[in-house]
Amino acid sequence: MSVPEKKLWAAWSRFLNGLVGALLIGFLVPILVVVAVSFQSKSYLSFPPTEFSLRWYQQFIGNDDYRSAILNSMLIGASAAALATIAGISTALAVVRAKVPGSTIVSALSVAPAILPQIVLAIGLFPISVWLGLQGTLWAVILAHAVIGLPFPFITVCGALASYSNRIEIASMTLGANSFQTFRLITFPMIRPAVIAGFIFAFAASLDELVLALFLSSPSTRTLPLLLWEQLNFQVTPEIAAAATVILAVTSLLILAATLLPRLGKDN
Amino acid sequence: MKHRSFLLYLPITLLLTPFFLAPMAVIGTQSFSGQQGIAAEYAKVVTDQGIRTVLYNTFYVAAMVTIFSLLIGYPIAYVLARLRGRWATVGIFLIFLPFWASTVIRSFAWMILLGRKGPVNSILVGIGFIEDPIRFIDNGLGLMIAMTYIMVPFIVVPILNGLRTIDPNLSRAAAVLGANPLRQFLAVTLPLSLPNVAVGCTIVFVTSLGFFVTPSLLGGDLTVVSMLISEQANRLLDWPLASALAIIVLLLTIVIFALLRFSQLASRRTGKAQAGVFA
Repeated sequence: MSVPEKKLWAAWSRFLNGLVGALLIGFLVPILVVVAVSFQSKSYLSFPPTEFSLRWYQQFIGNDDYRSAILNSMLIGASAAALATIAGISTALAVVRAKVPGSTIVSALSVAPAILPQIVLAIGLFPISVWLGLQGTLWAVILAHAVIGLPFPFITVCGALASYSNRIEIASMTLGANSFQTFRLITFPMIRPAVIAGFIFAFAASLDELVLALFLSSPSTRTLPLLLWEQLNFQVTPEIAAAATVILAVTSLLILAATLLPRLGKDN
Repeated sequence: MKHRSFLLYLPITLLLTPFFLAPMAVIGTQSFSGQQGIAAEYAKVVTDQGIRTVLYNTFYVAAMVTIFSLLIGYPIAYVLARLRGRWATVGIFLIFLPFWASTVIRSFAWMILLGRKGPVNSILVGIGFIEDPIRFIDNGLGLMIAMTYIMVPFIVVPILNGLRTIDPNLSRAAAVLGANPLRQFLAVTLPLSLPNVAVGCTIVFVTSLGFFVTPSLLGGDLTVVSMLISEQANRLLDWPLASALAIIVLLLTIVIFALLRFSQLASRRTGKAQAGVFA
Protein backbone atom coordinates (compact mmCIF):
# COMPACT_ATOMS: atom_id res chain seq x y z
CA MET A 1 0.00 0.00 0.00
CA SER A 2 1.24 3.49 -0.83
CA VAL A 3 1.70 6.01 1.97
CA PRO A 4 -1.26 8.30 1.11
CA GLU A 5 -3.50 5.25 0.82
CA LYS A 6 -2.38 4.10 4.27
CA LYS A 7 -3.16 7.53 5.67
CA LEU A 8 -6.61 7.37 4.08
CA TRP A 9 -7.40 4.04 5.74
CA ALA A 10 -6.08 5.27 9.08
CA ALA A 11 -8.34 8.32 8.80
CA TRP A 12 -11.30 6.10 7.92
CA SER A 13 -10.59 3.90 10.95
CA ARG A 14 -10.47 6.95 13.22
CA PHE A 15 -13.71 8.23 11.67
CA LEU A 16 -15.40 4.88 12.34
CA ASN A 17 -14.21 4.84 15.97
CA GLY A 18 -15.43 8.41 16.44
CA LEU A 19 -18.80 7.60 14.88
CA VAL A 20 -19.33 4.60 17.14
CA GLY A 21 -18.20 6.60 20.18
CA ALA A 22 -20.75 9.28 19.29
CA LEU A 23 -23.44 6.62 18.80
CA LEU A 24 -22.73 5.06 22.20
CA ILE A 25 -22.91 8.41 23.94
CA GLY A 26 -26.00 9.27 21.87
CA PHE A 27 -27.63 6.16 23.34
CA LEU A 28 -27.64 7.88 26.70
CA VAL A 29 -29.40 11.01 25.40
CA PRO A 30 -33.01 9.76 25.68
CA ILE A 31 -32.40 8.64 29.27
CA LEU A 32 -30.76 11.96 30.17
CA VAL A 33 -33.66 13.85 28.59
CA VAL A 34 -36.12 12.06 30.89
CA VAL A 35 -33.96 12.92 33.91
CA ALA A 36 -33.67 16.55 32.79
CA VAL A 37 -37.41 16.93 32.21
CA SER A 38 -38.14 15.61 35.71
CA PHE A 39 -36.35 18.58 37.29
CA GLN A 40 -38.30 21.29 35.49
CA SER A 41 -40.90 23.54 37.04
CA LYS A 42 -43.46 23.84 34.22
CA SER A 43 -46.49 21.60 34.24
CA TYR A 44 -46.03 20.45 30.64
CA LEU A 45 -43.07 18.73 29.07
CA SER A 46 -40.61 21.28 27.76
CA PHE A 47 -37.05 20.73 26.72
CA PRO A 48 -34.56 22.13 27.56
CA PRO A 49 -35.91 22.78 31.06
CA THR A 50 -35.70 26.44 32.03
CA GLU A 51 -36.08 26.46 35.79
CA PHE A 52 -34.83 23.85 38.24
CA SER A 53 -37.44 22.49 40.63
CA LEU A 54 -38.18 19.44 42.74
CA ARG A 55 -41.94 19.90 42.71
CA TRP A 56 -42.56 16.79 40.60
CA TYR A 57 -40.54 14.71 43.04
CA GLN A 58 -42.61 16.10 45.91
CA GLN A 59 -45.77 15.25 44.03
CA PHE A 60 -44.37 11.80 43.21
CA ILE A 61 -43.52 11.09 46.86
CA GLY A 62 -46.94 12.27 48.02
CA ASN A 63 -48.78 10.17 45.43
CA ASP A 64 -50.39 7.10 47.02
CA ASP A 65 -50.89 5.43 43.63
CA TYR A 66 -47.15 5.34 43.09
CA ARG A 67 -46.49 4.14 46.61
CA SER A 68 -48.81 1.15 46.29
CA ALA A 69 -47.61 0.44 42.73
CA ILE A 70 -43.96 0.40 43.87
CA LEU A 71 -44.86 -1.90 46.76
CA ASN A 72 -46.77 -4.23 44.41
CA SER A 73 -43.92 -4.26 41.91
CA MET A 74 -41.34 -5.08 44.59
CA LEU A 75 -43.51 -7.83 46.08
CA ILE A 76 -44.34 -9.33 42.68
CA GLY A 77 -40.76 -8.98 41.44
CA ALA A 78 -39.20 -10.63 44.49
CA SER A 79 -41.71 -13.50 44.64
CA ALA A 80 -41.63 -14.13 40.89
CA ALA A 81 -37.82 -14.03 40.82
CA ALA A 82 -37.66 -16.44 43.79
CA LEU A 83 -39.98 -18.95 42.08
CA ALA A 84 -38.14 -18.57 38.77
CA THR A 85 -34.78 -19.08 40.50
CA ILE A 86 -35.87 -22.26 42.31
CA ALA A 87 -37.28 -23.72 39.08
CA GLY A 88 -34.23 -22.51 37.14
CA ILE A 89 -31.67 -24.06 39.51
CA SER A 90 -33.39 -27.41 39.71
CA THR A 91 -33.93 -27.59 35.94
CA ALA A 92 -30.32 -26.59 35.27
CA LEU A 93 -29.15 -29.34 37.67
CA ALA A 94 -31.33 -31.86 35.83
CA VAL A 95 -30.11 -30.78 32.41
CA VAL A 96 -26.38 -30.19 33.04
CA ARG A 97 -25.54 -32.53 35.95
CA ALA A 98 -28.06 -35.33 36.26
CA LYS A 99 -28.54 -35.50 32.44
CA VAL A 100 -32.14 -36.55 33.00
CA PRO A 101 -33.81 -37.74 29.76
CA GLY A 102 -35.78 -35.06 27.90
CA SER A 103 -33.24 -32.34 28.59
CA THR A 104 -33.37 -30.94 25.02
CA ILE A 105 -37.09 -30.24 25.10
CA VAL A 106 -37.00 -29.01 28.71
CA SER A 107 -34.17 -26.59 27.86
CA ALA A 108 -36.13 -25.28 24.87
CA LEU A 109 -39.23 -24.81 27.04
CA SER A 110 -37.20 -23.04 29.75
CA VAL A 111 -35.88 -20.47 27.28
CA ALA A 112 -39.11 -20.13 25.27
CA PRO A 113 -40.78 -17.55 27.55
CA ALA A 114 -37.98 -15.10 26.69
CA ILE A 115 -38.77 -15.32 22.98
CA LEU A 116 -42.55 -15.66 22.99
CA PRO A 117 -44.40 -12.31 22.60
CA GLN A 118 -45.94 -11.55 25.99
CA ILE A 119 -49.32 -10.73 24.47
CA VAL A 120 -49.64 -14.39 23.38
CA LEU A 121 -49.05 -15.63 26.93
CA ALA A 122 -51.35 -12.93 28.32
CA ILE A 123 -54.27 -14.02 26.11
CA GLY A 124 -53.86 -17.64 27.20
CA LEU A 125 -53.23 -16.93 30.88
CA PHE A 126 -56.24 -14.70 31.42
CA PRO A 127 -58.90 -17.47 31.19
CA ILE A 128 -56.75 -19.80 33.32
CA SER A 129 -56.24 -17.13 35.94
CA VAL A 130 -60.02 -16.54 36.06
CA TRP A 131 -60.68 -20.29 36.21
CA LEU A 132 -58.22 -20.81 39.09
CA GLY A 133 -59.70 -17.83 40.95
CA LEU A 134 -56.37 -15.98 40.79
CA GLN A 135 -57.57 -13.11 38.61
CA GLY A 136 -56.96 -9.74 40.25
CA THR A 137 -54.77 -11.21 43.01
CA LEU A 138 -51.03 -10.67 43.29
CA TRP A 139 -50.54 -14.40 42.60
CA ALA A 140 -51.80 -14.08 39.02
CA VAL A 141 -49.03 -11.60 38.15
CA ILE A 142 -46.40 -13.35 40.33
CA LEU A 143 -46.88 -16.70 38.56
CA ALA A 144 -46.95 -15.10 35.10
CA HIS A 145 -43.76 -13.18 35.89
CA ALA A 146 -42.14 -16.33 37.29
CA VAL A 147 -42.67 -17.89 33.84
CA ILE A 148 -41.09 -14.97 31.93
CA GLY A 149 -38.28 -14.72 34.52
CA LEU A 150 -37.40 -18.43 34.32
CA PRO A 151 -34.98 -18.19 31.32
CA PHE A 152 -32.56 -15.91 33.22
CA PRO A 153 -31.64 -18.07 36.25
CA PHE A 154 -31.84 -21.16 34.03
CA ILE A 155 -29.28 -19.75 31.58
CA THR A 156 -26.93 -18.28 34.23
CA VAL A 157 -26.95 -21.44 36.39
CA CYS A 158 -26.47 -23.73 33.35
CA GLY A 159 -23.45 -21.60 32.47
CA ALA A 160 -22.04 -21.84 36.00
CA LEU A 161 -22.57 -25.61 36.21
CA ALA A 162 -20.92 -26.15 32.83
CA SER A 163 -17.92 -24.05 33.87
CA TYR A 164 -16.55 -26.53 36.42
CA SER A 165 -16.14 -30.28 36.45
CA ASN A 166 -18.55 -32.41 38.48
CA ARG A 167 -15.60 -34.28 40.05
CA ILE A 168 -15.83 -32.33 43.32
CA GLU A 169 -19.48 -33.32 43.59
CA ILE A 170 -18.60 -36.94 42.93
CA ALA A 171 -15.84 -36.68 45.57
CA SER A 172 -18.36 -35.33 48.06
CA MET A 173 -20.73 -38.22 47.35
CA THR A 174 -17.88 -40.74 47.64
CA LEU A 175 -17.06 -39.32 51.07
CA GLY A 176 -20.57 -40.16 52.19
CA ALA A 177 -22.57 -36.95 51.67
CA ASN A 178 -26.09 -37.45 50.34
CA SER A 179 -27.26 -35.45 47.32
CA PHE A 180 -28.88 -32.72 49.42
CA GLN A 181 -25.74 -32.24 51.54
CA THR A 182 -23.64 -32.18 48.37
CA PHE A 183 -25.88 -29.50 46.90
CA ARG A 184 -25.85 -27.38 50.07
CA LEU A 185 -22.11 -27.66 50.80
CA ILE A 186 -20.54 -27.98 47.35
CA THR A 187 -22.78 -27.12 44.42
CA PHE A 188 -24.64 -24.11 45.82
CA PRO A 189 -21.51 -22.22 46.96
CA MET A 190 -20.04 -22.83 43.47
CA ILE A 191 -23.08 -21.49 41.60
CA ARG A 192 -24.10 -18.78 44.10
CA PRO A 193 -22.94 -15.82 41.95
CA ALA A 194 -24.92 -17.17 38.98
CA VAL A 195 -27.95 -17.71 41.21
CA ILE A 196 -27.79 -14.11 42.45
CA ALA A 197 -27.33 -12.75 38.91
CA GLY A 198 -30.20 -14.89 37.60
CA PHE A 199 -32.45 -13.75 40.45
CA ILE A 200 -31.72 -10.08 39.78
CA PHE A 201 -32.26 -10.42 36.03
CA ALA A 202 -35.59 -12.17 36.67
CA PHE A 203 -36.50 -9.43 39.16
CA ALA A 204 -35.62 -6.74 36.60
CA ALA A 205 -37.67 -8.54 33.92
CA SER A 206 -40.67 -8.48 36.24
CA LEU A 207 -40.13 -4.80 37.07
CA ASP A 208 -40.19 -3.98 33.34
CA GLU A 209 -43.13 -6.16 32.34
CA LEU A 210 -46.33 -4.46 31.28
CA VAL A 211 -48.49 -6.63 29.02
CA LEU A 212 -49.11 -9.52 31.43
CA ALA A 213 -49.76 -7.06 34.27
CA LEU A 214 -52.23 -5.26 31.99
CA PHE A 215 -54.27 -8.44 31.57
CA LEU A 216 -53.88 -10.06 34.97
CA SER A 217 -53.94 -7.30 37.59
CA SER A 218 -56.72 -5.31 39.23
CA PRO A 219 -56.49 -1.66 40.39
CA SER A 220 -55.29 -2.85 43.81
CA THR A 221 -52.53 -5.05 42.36
CA ARG A 222 -51.39 -2.47 39.80
CA THR A 223 -47.64 -2.58 39.09
CA LEU A 224 -45.33 0.35 38.47
CA PRO A 225 -45.03 0.00 34.65
CA LEU A 226 -48.81 -0.36 34.51
CA LEU A 227 -49.32 2.86 36.47
CA LEU A 228 -46.80 4.70 34.26
CA TRP A 229 -48.63 3.33 31.24
CA GLU A 230 -52.04 4.48 32.48
CA GLN A 231 -50.64 7.94 33.26
CA LEU A 232 -49.01 8.20 29.82
CA ASN A 233 -52.31 7.35 28.16
CA PHE A 234 -54.20 9.78 30.39
CA GLN A 235 -52.08 12.89 30.75
CA VAL A 236 -48.36 13.40 30.23
CA THR A 237 -46.82 15.42 33.06
CA PRO A 238 -43.24 15.74 34.34
CA GLU A 239 -44.35 13.68 37.34
CA ILE A 240 -43.99 10.63 35.10
CA ALA A 241 -40.44 11.73 34.33
CA ALA A 242 -39.73 12.05 38.08
CA ALA A 243 -41.11 8.54 38.67
CA ALA A 244 -39.10 7.24 35.70
CA THR A 245 -35.91 8.82 37.08
CA VAL A 246 -36.39 7.14 40.45
CA ILE A 247 -37.01 3.79 38.74
CA LEU A 248 -33.94 4.27 36.54
CA ALA A 249 -31.80 4.93 39.61
CA VAL A 250 -33.10 1.83 41.41
CA THR A 251 -32.75 -0.44 38.35
CA SER A 252 -29.20 0.81 37.69
CA LEU A 253 -28.23 -0.04 41.28
CA LEU A 254 -29.75 -3.52 40.91
CA ILE A 255 -27.89 -4.18 37.66
CA LEU A 256 -24.67 -2.83 39.14
CA ALA A 257 -25.12 -5.25 42.04
CA ALA A 258 -25.83 -8.12 39.61
CA THR A 259 -22.63 -7.46 37.67
CA LEU A 260 -20.38 -6.65 40.64
CA LEU A 261 -21.49 -9.30 43.18
CA PRO A 262 -20.26 -12.28 41.15
CA ARG A 263 -16.83 -10.59 40.80
CA LEU A 264 -16.64 -9.92 44.53
CA GLY A 265 -17.53 -13.57 45.11
CA LYS A 266 -14.65 -14.65 42.90
CA ASP A 267 -12.15 -12.57 44.87
CA ASN A 268 -12.99 -14.25 48.16
CA MET B 1 -31.15 -43.06 41.62
CA LYS B 2 -32.18 -42.32 38.04
CA HIS B 3 -35.82 -42.16 39.15
CA ARG B 4 -35.10 -39.66 41.89
CA SER B 5 -33.30 -37.27 39.57
CA PHE B 6 -36.58 -36.84 37.69
CA LEU B 7 -37.72 -34.96 40.81
CA LEU B 8 -35.49 -32.09 39.64
CA TYR B 9 -38.07 -31.50 36.89
CA LEU B 10 -40.82 -31.08 39.48
CA PRO B 11 -40.59 -27.29 40.03
CA ILE B 12 -40.49 -26.46 36.32
CA THR B 13 -43.35 -28.87 35.64
CA LEU B 14 -45.45 -27.24 38.36
CA LEU B 15 -44.66 -23.79 36.94
CA LEU B 16 -44.84 -24.32 33.19
CA THR B 17 -47.71 -26.83 32.91
CA PRO B 18 -50.47 -24.58 34.30
CA PHE B 19 -48.95 -21.20 33.43
CA PHE B 20 -47.25 -21.75 30.09
CA LEU B 21 -48.34 -24.94 28.37
CA ALA B 22 -52.00 -24.76 29.42
CA PRO B 23 -52.31 -21.14 28.19
CA MET B 24 -50.97 -22.25 24.79
CA ALA B 25 -53.53 -25.06 24.73
CA VAL B 26 -56.27 -22.60 25.73
CA ILE B 27 -55.56 -20.15 22.90
CA GLY B 28 -55.32 -23.11 20.53
CA THR B 29 -58.80 -24.35 21.44
CA GLN B 30 -60.29 -20.88 21.69
CA SER B 31 -59.08 -19.98 18.22
CA PHE B 32 -61.21 -22.82 16.80
CA SER B 33 -64.29 -22.10 18.92
CA GLY B 34 -65.64 -19.08 17.07
CA GLN B 35 -69.41 -18.92 16.63
CA GLN B 36 -69.23 -18.96 12.83
CA GLY B 37 -67.51 -22.32 12.60
CA ILE B 38 -64.26 -24.06 13.32
CA ALA B 39 -61.84 -22.25 11.03
CA ALA B 40 -63.91 -19.06 10.76
CA GLU B 41 -61.45 -16.93 12.75
CA TYR B 42 -58.52 -17.96 10.57
CA ALA B 43 -60.61 -17.29 7.45
CA LYS B 44 -61.34 -13.82 8.86
CA VAL B 45 -57.62 -13.18 9.30
CA VAL B 46 -56.98 -14.07 5.66
CA THR B 47 -59.93 -12.19 4.14
CA ASP B 48 -60.45 -9.14 6.38
CA GLN B 49 -58.76 -6.14 4.77
CA GLY B 50 -58.25 -4.38 8.12
CA ILE B 51 -56.53 -7.36 9.74
CA ARG B 52 -54.36 -7.87 6.66
CA THR B 53 -53.25 -4.25 6.87
CA VAL B 54 -52.35 -4.71 10.54
CA LEU B 55 -50.30 -7.84 9.75
CA TYR B 56 -48.61 -6.01 6.88
CA ASN B 57 -47.78 -3.04 9.19
CA THR B 58 -46.34 -5.41 11.78
CA PHE B 59 -44.07 -7.09 9.23
CA TYR B 60 -43.10 -3.79 7.65
CA VAL B 61 -42.15 -2.18 10.98
CA ALA B 62 -40.30 -5.33 12.15
CA ALA B 63 -38.37 -5.54 8.85
CA MET B 64 -37.41 -1.84 8.89
CA VAL B 65 -36.38 -2.02 12.56
CA THR B 66 -34.24 -5.09 11.78
CA ILE B 67 -32.50 -3.26 8.89
CA PHE B 68 -31.93 -0.10 10.96
CA SER B 69 -30.66 -2.10 13.95
CA LEU B 70 -28.24 -4.00 11.72
CA LEU B 71 -26.93 -0.80 10.07
CA ILE B 72 -26.31 0.81 13.47
CA GLY B 73 -25.42 -2.33 15.42
CA TYR B 74 -22.84 -3.83 13.05
CA PRO B 75 -20.40 -0.85 13.14
CA ILE B 76 -20.78 -0.68 16.94
CA ALA B 77 -20.02 -4.41 17.29
CA TYR B 78 -17.15 -4.11 14.78
CA VAL B 79 -15.44 -1.30 16.69
CA LEU B 80 -16.13 -2.87 20.12
CA ALA B 81 -14.69 -6.20 18.93
CA ARG B 82 -11.32 -4.55 18.22
CA LEU B 83 -11.19 -2.80 21.60
CA ARG B 84 -9.30 -4.49 24.43
CA GLY B 85 -9.41 -4.26 28.19
CA ARG B 86 -11.10 -1.36 29.93
CA TRP B 87 -12.48 0.39 26.82
CA ALA B 88 -14.28 -2.75 25.69
CA THR B 89 -15.96 -2.98 29.11
CA VAL B 90 -16.93 0.71 28.97
CA GLY B 91 -18.40 0.27 25.48
CA ILE B 92 -20.47 -2.75 26.48
CA PHE B 93 -21.57 -0.95 29.65
CA LEU B 94 -22.75 2.07 27.59
CA ILE B 95 -24.70 -0.20 25.22
CA PHE B 96 -26.41 -1.96 28.11
CA LEU B 97 -27.20 1.05 30.27
CA PRO B 98 -30.38 2.08 28.38
CA PHE B 99 -31.13 -1.61 27.85
CA TRP B 100 -32.03 -1.88 31.52
CA ALA B 101 -34.38 1.11 31.52
CA SER B 102 -37.97 -0.05 31.29
CA THR B 103 -39.52 -0.18 27.81
CA VAL B 104 -42.27 2.17 28.99
CA ILE B 105 -39.67 4.72 30.09
CA ARG B 106 -37.63 4.45 26.90
CA SER B 107 -40.75 4.91 24.78
CA PHE B 108 -41.69 7.88 26.96
CA ALA B 109 -38.22 9.36 26.33
CA TRP B 110 -38.82 9.24 22.58
CA MET B 111 -42.28 10.78 23.03
CA ILE B 112 -40.48 13.79 24.54
CA LEU B 113 -37.63 13.80 22.01
CA LEU B 114 -39.79 13.45 18.91
CA GLY B 115 -42.75 15.58 19.96
CA ARG B 116 -43.84 18.47 17.72
CA LYS B 117 -42.03 20.90 20.01
CA GLY B 118 -39.43 18.39 21.16
CA PRO B 119 -35.66 18.82 20.96
CA VAL B 120 -35.26 16.91 17.67
CA ASN B 121 -37.72 19.15 15.85
CA SER B 122 -36.29 22.30 17.50
CA ILE B 123 -32.78 21.38 16.33
CA LEU B 124 -33.87 20.46 12.80
CA VAL B 125 -35.88 23.70 12.45
CA GLY B 126 -33.11 25.67 14.17
CA ILE B 127 -30.41 24.65 11.71
CA GLY B 128 -32.82 25.29 8.85
CA PHE B 129 -32.95 21.65 7.75
CA ILE B 130 -36.75 21.69 7.75
CA GLU B 131 -39.26 24.53 7.92
CA ASP B 132 -42.13 22.88 9.76
CA PRO B 133 -41.78 20.36 12.58
CA ILE B 134 -41.97 16.74 11.40
CA ARG B 135 -44.91 14.75 12.79
CA PHE B 136 -42.79 11.76 13.80
CA ILE B 137 -45.51 10.21 15.90
CA ASP B 138 -48.07 10.00 13.10
CA ASN B 139 -46.06 8.57 10.25
CA GLY B 140 -44.53 5.51 11.91
CA LEU B 141 -41.03 6.98 11.67
CA GLY B 142 -40.95 7.84 15.39
CA LEU B 143 -42.08 4.30 16.19
CA MET B 144 -39.28 2.80 14.10
CA ILE B 145 -36.68 5.14 15.63
CA ALA B 146 -37.74 4.25 19.18
CA MET B 147 -37.93 0.50 18.45
CA THR B 148 -34.51 0.57 16.78
CA TYR B 149 -33.14 2.32 19.86
CA ILE B 150 -34.57 -0.46 22.02
CA MET B 151 -33.43 -3.32 19.74
CA VAL B 152 -29.81 -2.32 18.92
CA PRO B 153 -28.29 -4.03 22.03
CA PHE B 154 -29.98 -7.29 20.98
CA ILE B 155 -28.11 -7.30 17.66
CA VAL B 156 -24.78 -5.93 18.95
CA VAL B 157 -24.22 -8.78 21.43
CA PRO B 158 -24.44 -11.75 19.01
CA ILE B 159 -22.44 -9.94 16.28
CA LEU B 160 -19.81 -8.90 18.83
CA ASN B 161 -19.51 -12.49 20.05
CA GLY B 162 -19.12 -13.68 16.47
CA LEU B 163 -16.48 -11.07 15.55
CA ARG B 164 -14.44 -11.89 18.64
CA THR B 165 -14.09 -15.54 17.65
CA ILE B 166 -12.66 -14.69 14.21
CA ASP B 167 -8.92 -15.38 14.12
CA PRO B 168 -7.21 -11.99 13.50
CA ASN B 169 -4.50 -13.84 11.57
CA LEU B 170 -7.00 -14.37 8.74
CA SER B 171 -7.25 -10.61 8.12
CA ARG B 172 -3.48 -10.35 8.46
CA ALA B 173 -3.04 -13.08 5.86
CA ALA B 174 -5.37 -11.20 3.51
CA ALA B 175 -3.36 -8.01 4.12
CA VAL B 176 -0.10 -9.80 3.30
CA LEU B 177 -1.69 -11.03 0.09
CA GLY B 178 -2.33 -7.40 -0.85
CA ALA B 179 -5.97 -6.85 0.21
CA ASN B 180 -6.75 -3.33 1.42
CA PRO B 181 -8.78 -2.97 4.65
CA LEU B 182 -12.05 -2.81 2.71
CA ARG B 183 -11.31 -6.03 0.86
CA GLN B 184 -10.09 -7.67 4.09
CA PHE B 185 -13.45 -6.80 5.59
CA LEU B 186 -15.54 -7.89 2.59
CA ALA B 187 -13.63 -11.10 1.88
CA VAL B 188 -12.81 -12.28 5.42
CA THR B 189 -14.54 -10.59 8.34
CA LEU B 190 -18.01 -10.02 6.86
CA PRO B 191 -18.59 -13.58 5.56
CA LEU B 192 -17.34 -15.11 8.81
CA SER B 193 -19.66 -12.91 10.86
CA LEU B 194 -22.77 -13.70 8.79
CA PRO B 195 -24.02 -16.61 10.97
CA ASN B 196 -24.10 -14.31 13.99
CA VAL B 197 -25.68 -11.53 11.93
CA ALA B 198 -28.45 -14.03 11.14
CA VAL B 199 -28.92 -14.79 14.85
CA GLY B 200 -29.08 -11.08 15.74
CA CYS B 201 -31.49 -10.25 12.92
CA THR B 202 -33.77 -13.14 13.87
CA ILE B 203 -33.90 -12.05 17.50
CA VAL B 204 -34.63 -8.43 16.54
CA PHE B 205 -37.24 -9.35 13.93
CA VAL B 206 -39.14 -11.79 16.15
CA THR B 207 -39.05 -9.44 19.17
CA SER B 208 -40.24 -6.58 16.97
CA LEU B 209 -43.22 -8.65 15.79
CA GLY B 210 -44.46 -8.83 19.40
CA PHE B 211 -43.95 -5.18 20.41
CA PHE B 212 -46.90 -3.65 22.22
CA VAL B 213 -45.87 -0.72 24.43
CA THR B 214 -43.87 1.35 21.93
CA PRO B 215 -46.37 1.07 19.04
CA SER B 216 -49.24 2.00 21.36
CA LEU B 217 -47.45 5.14 22.54
CA LEU B 218 -45.64 6.19 19.36
CA GLY B 219 -47.48 4.47 16.53
CA GLY B 220 -50.11 7.17 15.99
CA ASP B 221 -52.71 5.69 13.64
CA LEU B 222 -50.53 2.71 12.87
CA THR B 223 -51.78 -0.53 14.47
CA VAL B 224 -49.60 -3.62 14.94
CA VAL B 225 -50.78 -7.15 15.70
CA SER B 226 -50.17 -7.04 19.49
CA MET B 227 -52.38 -3.95 19.76
CA LEU B 228 -55.07 -5.65 17.66
CA ILE B 229 -54.97 -8.80 19.86
CA SER B 230 -55.25 -6.70 23.01
CA GLU B 231 -58.10 -4.65 21.54
CA GLN B 232 -60.04 -7.72 20.37
CA ALA B 233 -59.72 -9.34 23.80
CA ASN B 234 -60.15 -6.35 26.10
CA ARG B 235 -62.48 -3.99 24.30
CA LEU B 236 -64.40 -6.10 21.78
CA LEU B 237 -64.30 -9.32 23.85
CA ASP B 238 -63.71 -11.33 20.66
CA TRP B 239 -61.51 -13.97 22.32
CA PRO B 240 -61.64 -16.47 19.43
CA LEU B 241 -60.26 -13.89 16.99
CA ALA B 242 -57.68 -12.67 19.54
CA SER B 243 -56.62 -16.30 20.08
CA ALA B 244 -56.37 -17.02 16.36
CA LEU B 245 -54.13 -13.96 15.94
CA ALA B 246 -52.04 -15.05 18.93
CA ILE B 247 -51.66 -18.54 17.43
CA ILE B 248 -50.50 -17.01 14.15
CA VAL B 249 -47.88 -14.91 15.99
CA LEU B 250 -46.81 -17.98 18.01
CA LEU B 251 -46.45 -20.16 14.90
CA LEU B 252 -44.53 -17.42 13.06
CA THR B 253 -42.11 -17.13 15.99
CA ILE B 254 -41.55 -20.89 16.04
CA VAL B 255 -41.16 -21.11 12.24
CA ILE B 256 -38.63 -18.23 12.11
CA PHE B 257 -36.51 -19.75 14.89
CA ALA B 258 -36.76 -23.21 13.31
CA LEU B 259 -35.54 -21.73 10.00
CA LEU B 260 -32.59 -20.14 11.80
CA ARG B 261 -31.73 -23.43 13.51
CA PHE B 262 -32.09 -25.31 10.24
CA SER B 263 -29.79 -22.88 8.41
CA GLN B 264 -27.25 -23.14 11.25
CA LEU B 265 -27.25 -26.94 11.06
CA ALA B 266 -27.07 -26.85 7.25
CA SER B 267 -24.12 -24.44 7.22
CA ARG B 268 -22.34 -26.47 9.89
CA ARG B 269 -22.75 -29.56 7.73
CA THR B 270 -21.39 -27.85 4.59
CA GLY B 271 -18.62 -26.36 6.75
CA LYS B 272 -17.67 -29.86 7.85
CA ALA B 273 -17.82 -31.08 4.25
CA GLN B 274 -15.49 -28.28 3.19
CA ALA B 275 -13.14 -28.98 6.07
CA GLY B 276 -13.14 -32.60 4.89
CA VAL B 277 -12.03 -31.48 1.40
CA PHE B 278 -9.15 -29.52 2.87
CA ALA B 279 -8.12 -32.37 5.09
